[in-house]
This record gives sequence, C-alpha cells and structure tokens, in this order.
Amino acid sequence: MTDFIQVLVLGLLAGGLYALAASGLTLVFGVMNVINVAHGALLVLGAYLTWLFWRRTGADPLLLILVTTPVMFALGWVGYKLFVQRVRGAPAMSVLLTFSLALVIQGILGEIWSNDFRTVITSYSNHSFTIGSIVLPKERVFACAIAIVILGLLWLMLTRTWLGRAIRASAENPQGAALIGIELGSVAALTFAIGVATTGAGGSLISFSSFFPSTHYLWISRLLGIIVLGGMGSLSGAFVGALLMGVAEAMVAKYVPNGLAWVTAVPYMVIFVVLLVRPRGIFGAWTREDVATV
Amino acid sequence: MRRARWALGLALLAAALIAVGQVSATTKASGAAQAGTIKIGISLPLTGRFSEPGTDAMKGYKIWASLVNKSGGLLKKKIVLDIKDDASDQATIVSDYNRLISEDHVDLLLGTFSSFLNLPASSVAEKNRMVFVAPAGGSPALFARHYHYYFFSQQATAPHQGDLFSAWVKSLKPGKRPQSIAYPTLNDPFTQPVIEGIRAKMEALGIKTAFSKVYPTDTTDFDTIAQQIKSSGADAVVHGATFQDGVGLIRSMIKLGYNPRLMFQTTAPTEAADYAKAIGLQNTNGVMYAVSYASKAKGKRFPMNQQFVKAYKKAYNAPIPTEDAADAFAAAQVLQAAVTKVGKLDQDKMANWLHSHVAHTILGPLSWDSDGAPREAFFLAQWQRGKPQILAPRYIATTKKVIYPKPAWH
Repeated sequence: MTDFIQVLVLGLLAGGLYALAASGLTLVFGVMNVINVAHGALLVLGAYLTWLFWRRTGADPLLLILVTTPVMFALGWVGYKLFVQRVRGAPAMSVLLTFSLALVIQGILGEIWSNDFRTVITSYSNHSFTIGSIVLPKERVFACAIAIVILGLLWLMLTRTWLGRAIRASAENPQGAALIGIELGSVAALTFAIGVATTGAGGSLISFSSFFPSTHYLWISRLLGIIVLGGMGSLSGAFVGALLMGVAEAMVAKYVPNGLAWVTAVPYMVIFVVLLVRPRGIFGAWTREDVATV
Repeated sequence: MRRARWALGLALLAAALIAVGQVSATTKASGAAQAGTIKIGISLPLTGRFSEPGTDAMKGYKIWASLVNKSGGLLKKKIVLDIKDDASDQATIVSDYNRLISEDHVDLLLGTFSSFLNLPASSVAEKNRMVFVAPAGGSPALFARHYHYYFFSQQATAPHQGDLFSAWVKSLKPGKRPQSIAYPTLNDPFTQPVIEGIRAKMEALGIKTAFSKVYPTDTTDFDTIAQQIKSSGADAVVHGATFQDGVGLIRSMIKLGYNPRLMFQTTAPTEAADYAKAIGLQNTNGVMYAVSYASKAKGKRFPMNQQFVKAYKKAYNAPIPTEDAADAFAAAQVLQAAVTKVGKLDQDKMANWLHSHVAHTILGPLSWDSDGAPREAFFLAQWQRGKPQILAPRYIATTKKVIYPKPAWH
C-alpha cells in the first residue's frame, strides 16, 4: 500500500507541473484555433534559458521564472506577429507551421548547446520531505506548488480582469467581441504571448530533470494527450488531464510489465482511447465555449 | 530575362570549372598518397548523439598518427588520416566508408565509435576484404556474423566486461555478498549484454534478482525507477548506464534516501571530472565500474602510454586522456602492429596475423578469436575518496583496498 501511495504521490507531483506546461497550449487553441505543436520546443527553450542563466549567475531556477516568463512572452508576441497570425483559425495550417517552428528551435538549440543532456542542480536537488515512509523530492514539491500558484494567477487573470474577459469574449463570439470594441488581432497576439510565457515558467520548472533538444517530442505528445483528455481549450480540463497523465505514467512504469519502456507510449494511448470513447474529452464541453467558462 | 540566362550560364560554367578543379586535386592527392604516404580512412560521429566519443576518438587517432610520424612513420611512410563525419547516422557511415575505399582510395581503414555504427561500417570493410579494427563495438551482434576482417580492440566483449566484478563478488564470503540485486538497464546494444553477463553470474552464485527493467534512451524521470528499486528491497545495484542516465539515477537514489551496499555502473563513472561534478565528489565514494584504460599504466605491457598521455595533455590541455581517446589510440596501435609484422599492406595477411598473435597496446596486450572478439578482461575500478582506483587485475592495481559496503550518500 505504501508503494502504491508513493507512486501516486510522485505521479501527482509530476501532474501539477504538466498542468502548467499544458495551460498555454490549451489557451491558445481555445481562443485562436491554433494547435501550437512548437509548444514543447518552446518549453525546452525555456529550460535552456533557465540553465543558461543558472550557469552564469547561480540563481535558483524558481527565481529565474521572473526572467524566463517575460522573455518567452516577448518571443511569443514576436512569433505571433511574424508567423502565427497568418494561420489563425486554420488548425491544419497551424500544425504545419508550428511543427516547422519546432524543428527550427530544436536545430538551433542543438547547434548552440549540442545534443547533450542538461540539468539544473540546486542545493535542494538531492533532498526530500518525508511523511511517514512516503518521500517527496523537494524540487518536485516546489515545482508542483509554483505551477499551481501560476495556474491560479492565470485563472484569476482570465476571470477577473478586463484582458481576461476580452480573451474569453474573443473565444466565445469573435464578431460580438469586435462589435463592442475589442481589437481581435491584439487580443490574439496577447493570448499567444501569454501561452508562450507559460513555457518560460514551465521551462524553469522542468529544468530540474534532464532535457536535451529533442525532448520536445516527448513533451508535445504528453501535452497534446493532456488537452485531448481534458477537453481541448479547457484550462480546468487541462489541469485534471495533467494530474491523470502524471499518475498514469507513474502507474504504468511501476505496474505494467516492462512498464518503463511503455511510459512514453501513454500519451498516445490516451489520445486513441479518448478519441474513440469521448472525443470531446472528460470535461465534454464544446471547446470554444469551454474557455469562456473557465 | 536574357541577362538572367547569361548569369545562370556563367554560374553553371563556374560550378563546372570548380568541379573539374576538385577532381584534378583529388587525383593529385591520391597519386601523392600512393607515392610516399599511407592513407587511413575513418568515419567518426563528430556530430549527433555520439559526438562526444566520436570527437575524443578523433583526438586519439590524431595523436597516434603524429607520434608515429615523428618516429619515422609506418613502413617508413608518413601516415595521413582521411576523417569523415557520419553525423551518428548508419546510412551516412556506410556511404562514408564506401567513398573512402572507392573514391579516396585509402590504404587502410580504422573503425568508428559504438556498436550501433560499427555494425554497418564493418560490413563495408568485410565486403572489400579490408581489416577493420574498431575502438568501440563489443556488442555480441558484431561477432555473430563471423567476420574475418573485424577486430574489436578493447579487452573484452560486452557480456564479459563485468567479469572481474563478478569474480570479486564471488571472492566474498557468502554471508558478506549482497543478498539481492537490482539491474536497471538502458536500452542500448552495449549496456544490456554487460548487465546480462553479470546477472547470469550473480544468479549462479544464488544472489536473488530483486529488480530487472530496461528503460528507453530518452528517459528523463529517474525518480520513478529509483523508487521501484528501493521498494524491491535490493541491497545492491548493478546499473547498465551511459553518462546522463548514470548520474540521473544516482541523484534520484540520493533524493529518495536509498543507499545500496554495493553500486556498480557501466560507463558513467569513467568520465571522471564530469561524474564527480554531477553527483558530488563525496557520493562517488565506493562506486565500482569496469574500464578499459588506466592513464597511469606504464612499462612493456602498455607500450607508448606515457608518450600518449604527455602528447594528449599538450595538445588538448587536459589533465588525463579520456577513455574513448585511449581506445582509439589502441585501435590504431593494433593496426600498426599488423602492418609492421606483416611488413606490407596485405589485408589478408594482416587479418591472419591478428587472429593468431598478441598485439601490445596502451590498453595492455590484446588477442582475438576467429570472430574478432577479444579474449582479455576489463579492469575493475572503484572511486575511493575522490579518486578513481584500479582494483584488478593485480598487475595494474593501484590499491589493494576495496571500499565495501559502499558508504551512504551525502
């Protein structure tokens, strides 16, 4: 039983981090109908920026979120203006475009920092909290806690601010939003930039574990699995989907024969099953309406 | 439009002239090679996932060529290395070795890094009946083909790399041996046979297997694996690892408070400075590993080793040569021995000589069976108080002391 609880706890801690990583992807899809396949690559880029700043300054990755988030926000804004706005509302084209962006980012990262694994190591990296016989690695606890705080702030922004209301209005009824004076282009650019900014924070938090340029394939398959499971476009769906994905990966690794080899297949299996059984995901609302009710 | 056509015509003409010039230059170089030099063709993974060992191997080959040239060359001819980059790609390496043989007309070949790349590369050499000495490539798959011209120039094939470790465990009194062992293993043609080799010997001693799982090469979460090992109750870990997963799993064991009494890893602990930095110098204490090279080795048994160490330090400003650079240097020494003893560039005679004689290298004496598999043993090493020490065999041991049980992590 202790074993089962330990596996469950590790899975939930991973899931909290996955939720933050998936939030930007689902937000961008919900508002703009753009499937940002480069989201995983941007997450890995965020991890590299954290690693770079950490190596230069020795600053804690949790603190570096304050640096990586605005940097990735700016990159998201520029990326939207240069590339993404041309494919807004065209999911198929957005997949092609953002996949090519992911490959370009992967190539640049490999060229600059080679294909070696990187990890950020802090003073608490080798330490854990202990509750009875359950062990909670400190970096996982901190990463999960901060991810949940940032998700809470994102939720507050979407529900309590003028910008949040504009984003939701643009998603729910673009024509209506335009009629009441919302500049759809600017809102879309802001939404995309916010979505990419989450990869700055998420990147800082994933930098505790090993990463290398092509890790983005693992991340994008996992994140797509999460938002398909939770319901594409739904922030709360992504949160629940992420927790389930974290637990599913940990359980498969532990209890399925040769499970360590099957972990990377879990997101694909989730996508298959959800599309067959409940194509709209667990939360089951139509995606664009769903974002409007986060 | 007409201007554009003219420009295009000129561009084509210029390209044709450059191509003709290059063909002429290649022909001249090839002619020169036949006159006063011996040209050795090599394709290495200088980029891509094997770029680190590939680059180190290139350093080893270059130092060998420079030292041999300084002492009069091979068969009194200057050695010229023709090195190509295969980008860690199996298709590219096949094309590279074909080009080296048919276009560059190299006189000799040397092998590349990893079993993964030597598998296809050695087939090209075998088809062309050319001796192919590989500095890495101990996977059983390479010897199952019974090639005549393939020689692996480390001391043992993968299934036997842990033989001295197994012998050391056997030498312990039954009550002192570990009671159950966990075998986490990276999915890799090198690591798996090493671990399977050790596991068979441990099970024959009656030591229980508490955990045995293979994880994919792109694994980044080692907490889950460490947790499973911990809950298996194993008191020892024998880990089939490369560098990153090796340090990743140790860090996760430390995090989860799991302290095995005995820890053996492949590859990772040999990368001295990086390993100590990644897991913390204090945590290296007691970790055991198998290694092919010892920089301190000297004497007749390890010819040219101290010259190699000195030249390496000077050329690359590094404290000691890496194991991969040393392995490449040794591969070149094997080829040198065959050429020198045969007295001419006769590939059949060179292969026959290697099948029936001992070649002396910086890794020690090497000899091969009819499939090109080496017949010696890797050194057994252990990190002790911040320094790598050789425990066995006796003739190269740097200490008689063995740290066991392994101290707890810090």
